[in-house]
Order: sequence, then structure tokens, then C-alpha cells
Amino acid sequence: MSIDAANPIEKQAKQPIRRDAALEVTRLMPRPLLIVVTVLLCALVLTPILYIFLASLNTDVGVASGEFWPSSFSLDSYSKIWDSVGLAKAIGNSLIVSGATAVVSALMAIGTAYVLVRFEFRGRLTVLRGLLGLQSIPGTLMLLPVFVLFSSAGTYLGVTVIGTLWGLFIAYLTFALPFSTWVMVTYLRGLPRELEEAARIDGASNLGILFRIIIPLSWPGIIVSAIFAFLLGWNDVLFASVFTRPDTHTAAVALQVFASAVEGGAIPVYSQMMAASLVCAVPVVVLYFMFQKYLVGGLTAGGVK
Amino acid sequence: MASSVTEPRPSDSSPAAGAAAGPGGPTPSVTRRKGLSEKNRPLWLLIPGGFLMTIVILIPLAMGIWMSVIDLDQYSLRRWVSAEFIGIQNYIEAATSSDLLRSIWLSVSFAVISTLVTIPLGVAAAVVTQNAYRGRALVRSIFLIPYVLPSFVVASVWRTMLQPDGIVNVTLTNMGMDGGLWLNGPNAYWTLVWVEIWAAWPFIYLLALSGLQAVDHEVHEASALDGALWWNKLRYVIFPYLKGPVSLAFLLATLNHINNFTLPYVLFGAPAPSDVNVLPILVYVTSFQSFRFGLSAAMAVVSLILIAIPLFIYLRAVKLDVHDGGKK
Repeated sequence: MSIDAANPIEKQAKQPIRRDAALEVTRLMPRPLLIVVTVLLCALVLTPILYIFLASLNTDVGVASGEFWPSSFSLDSYSKIWDSVGLAKAIGNSLIVSGATAVVSALMAIGTAYVLVRFEFRGRLTVLRGLLGLQSIPGTLMLLPVFVLFSSAGTYLGVTVIGTLWGLFIAYLTFALPFSTWVMVTYLRGLPRELEEAARIDGASNLGILFRIIIPLSWPGIIVSAIFAFLLGWNDVLFASVFTRPDTHTAAVALQVFASAVEGGAIPVYSQMMAASLVCAVPVVVLYFMFQKYLVGGLTAGGVK
Repeated sequence: MASSVTEPRPSDSSPAAGAAAGPGGPTPSVTRRKGLSEKNRPLWLLIPGGFLMTIVILIPLAMGIWMSVIDLDQYSLRRWVSAEFIGIQNYIEAATSSDLLRSIWLSVSFAVISTLVTIPLGVAAAVVTQNAYRGRALVRSIFLIPYVLPSFVVASVWRTMLQPDGIVNVTLTNMGMDGGLWLNGPNAYWTLVWVEIWAAWPFIYLLALSGLQAVDHEVHEASALDGALWWNKLRYVIFPYLKGPVSLAFLLATLNHINNFTLPYVLFGAPAPSDVNVLPILVYVTSFQSFRFGLSAAMAVVSLILIAIPLFIYLRAVKLDVHDGGKK
């Protein structure tokens, strides 16, 4: 600041200097060190990522012979994987199950959260604490009993659940609910009450308030909870590996099965492996970067302050 | 299931904490609202979620505990209701003649090592992206990549790169080093730790970043006026702000590492090499490959108890947050 005062002639340059000075104040590390750390961390992340891209554009033989930089670029791997991995069907299954989970869990979460935030009832705090606790129950603990329960549905009720996408959907929906609801609870707590009260005075019912006021105001929260439910379904291997048959395999399981099969083969098809991995990552990466603003905000909102 | 959702649970310090604390904030509107809500509470909205959670979480949880005390294998599975009650024999077998204790040790040490390495990485990343500069948005997006990629993709990719004839060994050989086996034998444990660290450090970064953003500008100015050296400023001014977020991150990250099934399963397959036979893999293999369902249920219950310790601390911390959260 004192620099500004000392150089009244350079008034035009005032703004930039002040901004630099402000930067200097909040800077936490000397510049060279800052650059070194940033470069190292980026290299840590990007080296494998770069390799995946290059390998997926290489030929299977090229990758198997240990090339980092392909001797010839081709998109062959990207056209082969639809057959060899059965990726189209698997990605379709994943999209259906995860998409349905996302939509239904977000709808259920907002209803539940509305009641939890705006109404008093006995056991409310227990429910809230339960929502947090249930998120950390290990999937491996639930897998066997849920499997037995779903099989029993086949034995006793005559409904086939195991092997269908329904079984996966119900499981994912239930496991997504605690977190989705919690996200909505934190979001709805931040909404002002006045609008709802005004609507109530105008004679709106609870459902009317939910649909006309709460939901239109809550899109950021709904998006966050839907995306996390989607990711839960998309990223799961544990339940999908036990609850699906080859024709209901999700992308995660198809990739895993392909990987195990590949290593038994004479020529490892690593290039296809990398291409398939990338394709499986694409929907998730796109979702993230489209909604990055909401997601990072939703993650850290209230989290730790 | 929680293992695949690896994000911070917002523990909330929201404006409506007054509402959360219920009786704590009696204003006229509260009494009126209460009178209204007593008559007309749409509690039925809780039914669908409550129903699902009862059927798919609570009942199976009870079944899981029951299964751990009965003799259940592939023959008795179909008639599991009438399987023979054998008390704590499954637990005795798990403790004495299975890999359980070793797996617990592997899981806990793996989780703690991974967390201890990711914390400095995540905090460093948060510190270097604290100040705006040209290209910062790009750097932040790059930092998020490992977090965004699905675990099964990360594991498949590393599995391919770490094959005996994979790119890692080729590079090491070119540099005159001997790579050896990464996916089998004693190295496998460190492979698991390495890949977990690669995938998990951005989680710490996100939490640390939100902690840094809580530091007021005045604090920076004050320490600049005092002429604090950067290291002292970090150590004595900034890090205290991060103590809360980082402790929370430590707990959650350790829980996530212990619960992580996908990464070891996709990296090493099942049954896993004995050096990476972590708890989730052991429980999975015991039920779905050895078909010792009762034994597996007992192991699962033991792992739940293990998880419950950090989880309990976490839930208490969150509860405190809700009550202190009136500050907005």
C-alpha cells in the first residue's frame, strides 16, 4: 500500500499493484515452492492419465510391447470394445439402474428431508443421526443378508430378484437414501421459511408447498443428491458382481470380467482395456465437470466450518 | 455400500440449526408453526424411505447378526431359517483358524498409512491453490481427477500398468531397475497403499480447501504486518484453522479405506494374494467363494464393530456441530 502513496504519478497503475499486494498478503508459500508443489501434484495425477489416453490410441501389440508413445495411432480399440467387452449392453444397464436410482432417490430424499427439517416429531433426532450412521455401514456386511433376502423372495414369493436389474435398483436406492436425504436436509435448512409461511396463509397444503415452493427452490441440492446416487450405482462393483447375470452386468462388472479374461489370453489386449476404462469413466467425468460448482459446494457446505 | 461413496458427509452448521435443536429457539413463529404442524404433519412422507430402509438395511442387518450364530453353508442356505444354532462357534473359528486377525491388521495398517500420506498431500494441494492465479481453475480440475474417476476404473488402469510386462516395469527396466511383481507377493501390499493414496488424496484436498476458506482476510493481514515468515505463518496461523477439517478428514478417510472393497477386488481379483487379503475381501471370499456363510457373517459383524469405533467418534463430533451451529 505504501508503494502506491509513494508513487502518485503512477496512478493508472494503482489497481494492479494493489491486487498484487493483496495477493502477497494471502500467499501461503514462496512462489518457487508453490510452483514446484503444483507441478509435482499435477504430474502425479496426469502421468497415468496421459498413459491411459496414449495406450487406448495405441494397438494392443504396441501396448503389450511396452510402448509409452504409440508407434502408430489408431481408434481401433474404441471400435473393438463394444464387441469384446460387451460394453454397449453393460453401459446401458448401468445407465438404467444408476439413472433410476438417481431420480427416485432424489424425489424420496426431498420428501423425507422436508418432514425432517420443517416438522417436529418424536424420534426426529434419532432419524437424523441414523441417516449419518447408515452411510458408513460396510457394503460387505450387507451383501450376504440382502442376497439371502432377495433369494428368499424368489423362493417364497415367486418373484425373481437376483439377476435382474430390479434387485440392483432396490439395493442402490436404499443405500443412496441416507446420504441423499442428508444432503437435502442440509440444503433445506438453509432455505428461508417465510415463503412457505406466506403460501400456508394463502391456503396451500403441505404437498402444495413441497411441489410449488420447496422443489423449485432446491435444484442445487436435488442435483447434488441425484448425482451422488447416480455415482453410487455407477461405481459399485460389490453388489453388481453378485446380483447380476452376464446379460445384466453393469459397466463396472463387465470391465472387471474382461480384465480377468484378458490376462489369461495369449496377447494381452491392454489397449482395449484402457479404451474401455476411459469409456466407463466418461459419463461420470462429464457429470462432475458439468455440475462442479454445485458438487464442490454441496460437499463442503457446512461440512467442516 | 458406503465404501463407494467417498465424500465428506456434510455435518452441517446451517442457519436452521435453531430449528434442528428444536426447543432451543422459541420465537412466536415457532409456537404458531408447532400448533399448525401438530395437526397437519405430512409424516406419511417418511413412509417410503422408512419402508425401504427397514427392508433392505435394518432387516438384513438383523439377519446378518443371526446368521453369524448359525451353521450356514451352501447346503443349509436355502433353509436358512431352520439352520442349526451353534452360538459363538463361528466367532471362535474366525478368531482361531481363519485369516481374520491378519486381515484386520492388514486393513487397519493399510487404512492408517494411506490416510497419513494423503493428509500432507491434500493440505499441500489446498495451500497452493488458495491464491487466485491464471490457470488456477485448470489446476483445481486436475487435482479433482483421481477423485472423480470411478474406483473400478482407477483399479483397472493401475492393474494394467502394473502387470509384470506392463508400462511400469518397462520404464523401471529402462532406468536400470528391476521392477518385479507388483500384483502378487509382498509388493502387493504397497501397490494397494500406493493406488489408494493416488485415488484418495483429493478428498483431503477438498476438506482442507474448505478449511482454508474459513480463514479471514484480516488474519492474513495481521500476520503480514507482524512480518511472519511463510513457514511460521503456516505452522502457527493457518494450520490451527485446519485442525478441525483435517481431523474430520482423518476419520472419514480411514473409514473409507477400511471399507474399500472395489480397489483391492479389481486390482488383485478374488481370492486376493495373502498380503492384500483385507477385511472386505476376506468377508466376500468366505461367503461367495468358500460358501461358509455363517463364518463370513461372523467376520462381517466383527468388522462392523471395528468400524463402529471411529464412526462413534464421528457421530459425536457431528452432534456437537449441530448444536454449536447457530452462528450461521
